[in-house]
This record gives sequence, C-alpha cells and structure tokens, in this order.
Amino acid sequence: MKINFNLNGSDVELEISPEQTLLSLLRDKLGLFGAKQGCDVGECGTCSVLINDELRKSCLMLAVQVEGCRVVTIEGVSSPQGEPNDLQQAFLDHGSVQCGFCTPGMVLAGEAILKETLTPTRTQIREGIAGNLCRCTGYQQIVDAIEDTAQQRRTAVEEK
Amino acid sequence: MSEFTYLDKPAQRVDGLDKVLGTAKFVGDIKLAGMLYTAILRSPLPHANILHLDVSPALKVPGVVAVITAEDFVDHGNFGWPVKDAYVLAWKKVRHVGDPIAAVAAETEAAALEGMQAIQFELEKLPVVSDMQHALDADAPLVPLEAPLGQGNLVNTHLVRNGNPDPIIAACVNKFEKTYHFSHQEHAYIETEGTLAIPGPDGSLTIYSNDQSPFITRDNVMMVLGLPQEKVRIIQPAVGGSFGGKDDINYQHTAMVGALALKTKKPVRILLSRKESLIASYKREAMDITIRLGADENGYLQAAKVDLLADSGAYASMTPLASWRATMHAAGCYRYQAVHVDAKSVYTNNSYSGAFRGFGNTEAAAAIEQAIDDFANQLGEDPIDFRLKNIVRNNGEKLMTGNLLQQEVGLAECIEWVRERSGWDEKRAKYNNQSGDIRRGIGIACYMHGSSLGGEGADYATTTLRIEADNTILVTSGLTDYGQGSRTVFALVAAETLGLNYDRFKVGCTDTTTSVESGPTVASRSTMLGGNATKVTSQKLLQVLNFAAADLLNCEPAQIVRDGELFIGPDEEPVPFEKIVEHAREMNLTLYVEGKWEMPKFEWDFEKGEGTPYICYTFGAQIAEVETDLITGETKVIGIWAAHDSGTVIFKQGADGQMYGGIGQGLGYAMMEEMKYDQGFPANINFRQYLIPTALDMPEMDIKFVQVSFETGPYGAKNMAEPTMIAIAPAIANALYQATHQRHNVIPLTVERLATGIEPVRKASPSRIRKGLGLK
Repeated sequence: MKINFNLNGSDVELEISPEQTLLSLLRDKLGLFGAKQGCDVGECGTCSVLINDELRKSCLMLAVQVEGCRVVTIEGVSSPQGEPNDLQQAFLDHGSVQCGFCTPGMVLAGEAILKETLTPTRTQIREGIAGNLCRCTGYQQIVDAIEDTAQQRRTAVEEK
Repeated sequence: MSEFTYLDKPAQRVDGLDKVLGTAKFVGDIKLAGMLYTAILRSPLPHANILHLDVSPALKVPGVVAVITAEDFVDHGNFGWPVKDAYVLAWKKVRHVGDPIAAVAAETEAAALEGMQAIQFELEKLPVVSDMQHALDADAPLVPLEAPLGQGNLVNTHLVRNGNPDPIIAACVNKFEKTYHFSHQEHAYIETEGTLAIPGPDGSLTIYSNDQSPFITRDNVMMVLGLPQEKVRIIQPAVGGSFGGKDDINYQHTAMVGALALKTKKPVRILLSRKESLIASYKREAMDITIRLGADENGYLQAAKVDLLADSGAYASMTPLASWRATMHAAGCYRYQAVHVDAKSVYTNNSYSGAFRGFGNTEAAAAIEQAIDDFANQLGEDPIDFRLKNIVRNNGEKLMTGNLLQQEVGLAECIEWVRERSGWDEKRAKYNNQSGDIRRGIGIACYMHGSSLGGEGADYATTTLRIEADNTILVTSGLTDYGQGSRTVFALVAAETLGLNYDRFKVGCTDTTTSVESGPTVASRSTMLGGNATKVTSQKLLQVLNFAAADLLNCEPAQIVRDGELFIGPDEEPVPFEKIVEHAREMNLTLYVEGKWEMPKFEWDFEKGEGTPYICYTFGAQIAEVETDLITGETKVIGIWAAHDSGTVIFKQGADGQMYGGIGQGLGYAMMEEMKYDQGFPANINFRQYLIPTALDMPEMDIKFVQVSFETGPYGAKNMAEPTMIAIAPAIANALYQATHQRHNVIPLTVERLATGIEPVRKASPSRIRKGLGLK
C-alpha cells in the first residue's frame, strides 16, 4: 500500500506493507539510522521521532499511521549541511552525550518540550524526557542542555 | 588548575558531533550487500544435559545458509580467563537460561528465526543450584563440567591477612556484626549486543563488535577458530554503553559470526533483542557480606573481619577478579590495627556474573558503609563524626590490606565538602525528630577505590600519533571508548603536551590492525594508562618537531621556545606549526610515533593475602537525602551531594558526566534494579520488569572534584568511572535508616521491601522466557 506524509520537510510517497512499523520503515527502507532500535516495545525511547511536533516512539507505530503527518527524525533536526542546531550544540557544550545511543531520541524529546514551551521548569524537562532511558549520564547534563536552549530561544524570540 | 591550556576546560567530545547528528554508526546501523542475519538457539532451562542436537532441519528452511554448534570450533569453543570454563556454544550441557546452543545464519531475520525454531534438540533437566549459600553443600549438583579447584562449585577464594583481628575484636568494648545482601544487577546498556563479521577472500575476518576490549576479542576468535593473528581484525564501532557488560557475551558472538562468515563466505551479523539480552547476558554478582568490627571505648576502630560470598552463576567470567577487588576493599577506607577478609565465589545456575562498573567494590563499599553507619548509630555517634575519626588521611598510613598509602588523600576534604553543601548538621538534627507517615532522612557513605588493574595483571598501554597530510593529528589507542570519553581525554592530553590546538586531533576507533594492544579497557584505567601513554607519545612527537624546527631555524632543539602553535628560535621569528611539519617532511622525518607506558611494579601475594594491591587509590564521599512514605514504601531521593578525589580533571564535561552517570547507576542499584532468579529462571526479562532510573527518578546532583594531584598519573590525574557509582547505594540506605529506623540489610531497597519489610517473592515465567528466546 502507498502512504503520503511529510518527512523532514519533504513530501514523500512510499510503498509500505501494512504491518510495517514506522521504525522499520525509517531504518530498513529509508536508510535513516538515527532512530535506534533499543527494545522494540516502547520501553526505552531511543527510536523517538516527532509526529506533528509531538514525541512518539516509532517502534510502537505502524508506518500507515503517519499518513498525512509531519514526521521529523534526527536527520531533520540539523541543517542540510550537517551543522548541529542550537539544541544539538547545547548537548555538545553541556557534555550531555556519552555513548550516544539515546542521544537522537533525547534531542527529539528536547525539541518536543521546546515546541510546547520556551519556559519549561527543570521538572517539566524531566517529565518530557522521562520516556527516554539513558544509562550513561544520570540525565543532569541533558536537562541542562534543554534548559539552556530554551533560554537561548526565548532570548531570540524576545529580540525579534 | 590554571596552569593548563586544555585540561579541565570546556571541551567538546571528539565523537560528539556524529552522535548528536544521529550519524554515528553502531553495529545495527551497518548493513552490507548479501549480509546474513543470525538467530541463536538458547537454552530455555537453567541446567540440563544436551541429549540430542540435530541442526539439519534448520538447513531445510528456505533462506537458511548455515548452522553451527560447538563442533565447529577448536576444542569445542572452550574459552574463558582466568578460568577456562565457558564455550562459544554449549557443549555437553547447558548451565543457565539463555546459554547458547546453536547459531543459524540466514538471508532474512525471519528465516534465521524459523531455522532456529526448526532445530531438533532434547534437554535432560538437571537439578538446579539456585542459592549460593547452598552451592558448596555436599549434595549440591556440580554446575561446571569439571570442578576447577577440585572442590565442587567453588570458583575461587581470596584473602587479606593484615595482623590478627580476633583477639583485638574480642578485647574491644564495642563490637559489631551483621550480614548484608546484594542482588544481581543488569548493565542495561541502551544498545544491545551486536557483532558483524565480514569474510575476506584470503580466509580472513574483519569483525565489528560493540565490545570493550577488541584485542581480547581477537585473541579469543583466533583461539576458537584456529586462525593466525593476521587473519583476524577487530574494529570497534560506536558502542552504545557497556559498563563492563559487553565482554564475554561478545567473545561468544564474535566467534559465532566469525565461524558463520567463514562458512558462508558472506557478511554475518548478530544483534540481540532486548529480551534476549536481558535473559542471556551476564550480570553483576550477587553477594552476601558479613562484617565484624571492633572499636575502643572512644569509638576508634581497631579491627575488622569480613566474610564474602559471591554468586558467579554458571561461569567464572570475571567473578574471580571482581571478588578479588571486593576482598581488597571489604573493610573500607578506615584505619585498623588488623583486618582479615575471606572471600569465596561459587557456581550456581543463576545466569552468570562478570564485570560491572565498580567490579566488586560496589558491593563491598555498600556493605562496609552500611556497617559503619550502623556501628556509629550503635555507639550514638554522628555518622560523619564517626567516619572523620576513623578514615585514612595521610601519606604513609596503613590501609586495610596492610600496605602503606603512598599518596596524598583528599577524603576528609570530600567529606567536609558534602557535609557543608548538603546542610548535613541541620538536616540530620531536624530529621531525628519527625512524626507522621512521610519522613525524611539524610545519609552519607565514603569510599576508596584502587586505581586500574592493580594485582589483577600486567598494566600498560600504547598510544600512536600520526601527522596527517592535512596537518591534523590522528591519535590511536588500544584502549577503547564506549561512551566514557577516553578518546577525548587522549586528545586533550596530546594537545596539552604538544602545545597544539585541540581541534587538530582526531581519535580513531580502536582497530586491532592499526592500534597497539594495550590490555583490556576496564578498571577505570584509560585515563591513567592511556593518558600517560599519550603523554609519552606526544613528547616523542614533540622531539621530532623540535628537531625539524631547530634545523629550519639554525639552532639547537633546546633553544626552541613556543607561543601556542608557533615555534620560535633565537632570532625570534615565529614559525607556525604547518611550516615546521612541511620542513620535517622535506627532511624525510617520520611523523608517526608510538609510545608505551607501564605501571610501576608492585605485588600482591594471592596465597598469603598480603602485599600491595594497588599503586594508588581514589577517594570520595556522597550524601543522599530521601523522602519516604512509611506506609507505602514509596521513596524519592531528593538530593545528592558528591565529592570525588580524582586527581587532576582532564575532560571537564566528561568527568562531570561520569559522576552524574555513576550516581544514576548507583541510585538504580540502591532502589529498583534487581535481577531475580526463580530456580534459575530470570524473573525480569524486559524493562517493565527490570526498572532503571528515568529522569524523574534522579534528583538534581551537586558535585565536586577534589583534585589532589597524583604524580604518577598524567598531569596528576587518577581515575573516576567506577568509584563514582559505589557510595550512592549505601548513602541512600543510610538515609533511609535515619528516616525509618529500619535496616533491611538488602540492596536494592525496593518499594516492596520498604513497605513490608518482607523479602518479596518473584515468580519467573518459563513460557514467557521461551517466547522471549524465540522458541515455540
């Protein structure tokens, strides 16, 4: 069957099988390996993507469910030239990355928080990333990076 | 630390950009044309004889290309160090649930699974050893094929003999004795185990494995496949966490895909599902630790006796060494006249246990630090005052193992810092007078942690540096980076030593063909060993550069002075690095150097239980504040203060991350992480049954590095990855004791234990385990 959706800013039409998960579509068919496979049952969050600006676990979704949606993967966060965006740069500056396996999902979880509010409390940030497991960092520097980016984006909005 | 240009300053991780962009390639992200997928037949039983195994039906399944068993390996794939008791694929019998029996390679994952399910096998159930306390009973079934010490399920013993504590304790007016229990812990790296083998036309193998120690992986592949060194190349791709957990199981996987790749002449990949990983991978040892202490009338500790029993599970793996580290730390960072420690590790059918961050000291420190707290309470002393009276403080003081400290000690400073930052004195007093169901408590724990391998083995590392055509500098090390940040540490040390900009340095993934063997990447040894090797290598490269600069500037190398990347001779004309390199090339100088650093020699006598176990130690103190509901047991850690005497910090954000992350794993260990075995069957086979901390479980952490320089370390650095995790569990337990006045003597302190005080029963589901392993 065919589905149409917007993937990282481009409209796409793809042939899929009805039982295919979104994660499988991204990794196995489109070669987008940024969404990782960590548990396949929605427990770890490393496969996270944004669907219409909301954080979703792509292993729990069927590809068919994104018909007509805007899908953003980690590959759609950086500039087309491969420059990190402000949140990704904040992850680098704050030391929020260790092994890096949860990082794509964490960045997207951060984006989802920042799309909702640019004034999140640290507790709200923690709630926003609570579905994404990280075994390396103890989360503190991830919270720092998201909080810092919120501040930067807030300043940018205020300056306009 | 202002004397440094690059160390302990904000720096971006060398492998960070690929990771935030999502372009870092983990094993599961590598797909090759014609690549075969693997399914492993694993034992659904904890202990059984293999009566019958027929893999031929698998070969009839469409898409299946090859199947292997123990018969496909030299000496049936027997491996293991220090005890050679394991097999790549089970031979004669299976000894734990998840023990691999056969491996199928097929064109699709579905065909591999179907092929695996078609294998005909018959297992004859054997009685199970499920309780380590009964593993050495006269009638206990034998778990290994042969008893390694001729004493049934005994894996190893260790001892410390420092004086004679018995008469001292007997004469003490204050005595203490208690046993503390520790459960198995799962590493729970977010990336599961993965390996990809690519066969070469000459019968060679190139293998990408998400392991910790590629040279050990290589040596194992050579041994079990009978290949010479030049035919096995192991490359470590990006690794999604390990924490000690991706060694032995990946030795098995590399051998399996290696054999399958040679057999099929195609690339073959193994990637475990989460369930398979949780069922089949090794764990932290469960331990029971009994501590006896004696103190004089003024509360000064006099002597300690510790007995330690470790559950090694089905194989020895690293338990003999982890239990040695536990033995070397069992009485903690305190002054004693005499200490005896006796440790035993035993085989059971509870999965198998091996390396995990802290490597035995996680349990040992958690036991002694709860004991010290209990003893302080028994004596009516403040837990911090009692510790400050008894800790080791000075160069030359005797440690629990009888050797003398040969370094300065930052422990008292760590304790004072966490005491002040946490508001200990005020909170401690306040929480001593509470009523109602919601209670708070604050608790402390300290630690010492021997640096690097110590008496475990030869300790050395080699770094290489090569100036590339674009004047960047490629660093390689035989020590690997699976997230801890060692590559960045090496780049920073090289930049500091050479006086060249940090962004010139690129650090390659460890590759057994291009990097130089440096021992295992374990024991928090990378900074000290790899850091020193990088410093030595950088000094060698600097000699070459100064030689070229002197030639260019018509002076002696000793006359060259530096201003950043500029080389300046007696005529004071600054010459940039690029010009010096250009001239060095014109002189045909080799712009590649290797440098090895080896730990100074010292010795521990394993038979007598005396000597020097480690050249140096790190120290630290951590405080936890908790809020708990006396009725429901629901507990929240609301604050953590941690200070670590690390020596010089090299990679600032990386060091902070090690501390925060170590505390995270320690908090999980303290409160929720428990791999339970029900007659050998695992009761936790997914992340709903095995919980690890989320961002909501973690409080804000306030941390500090007390940088007491250690002159043997690179620029005064010691180490940090493991020790940062080991004090938090006892600190939380001690905080809970203040809040509840109950000591459960068990880690983890799960909600159920706190609510009921009763040891929870966990039932495993053999049918769900079968399903989790892909069996019908």
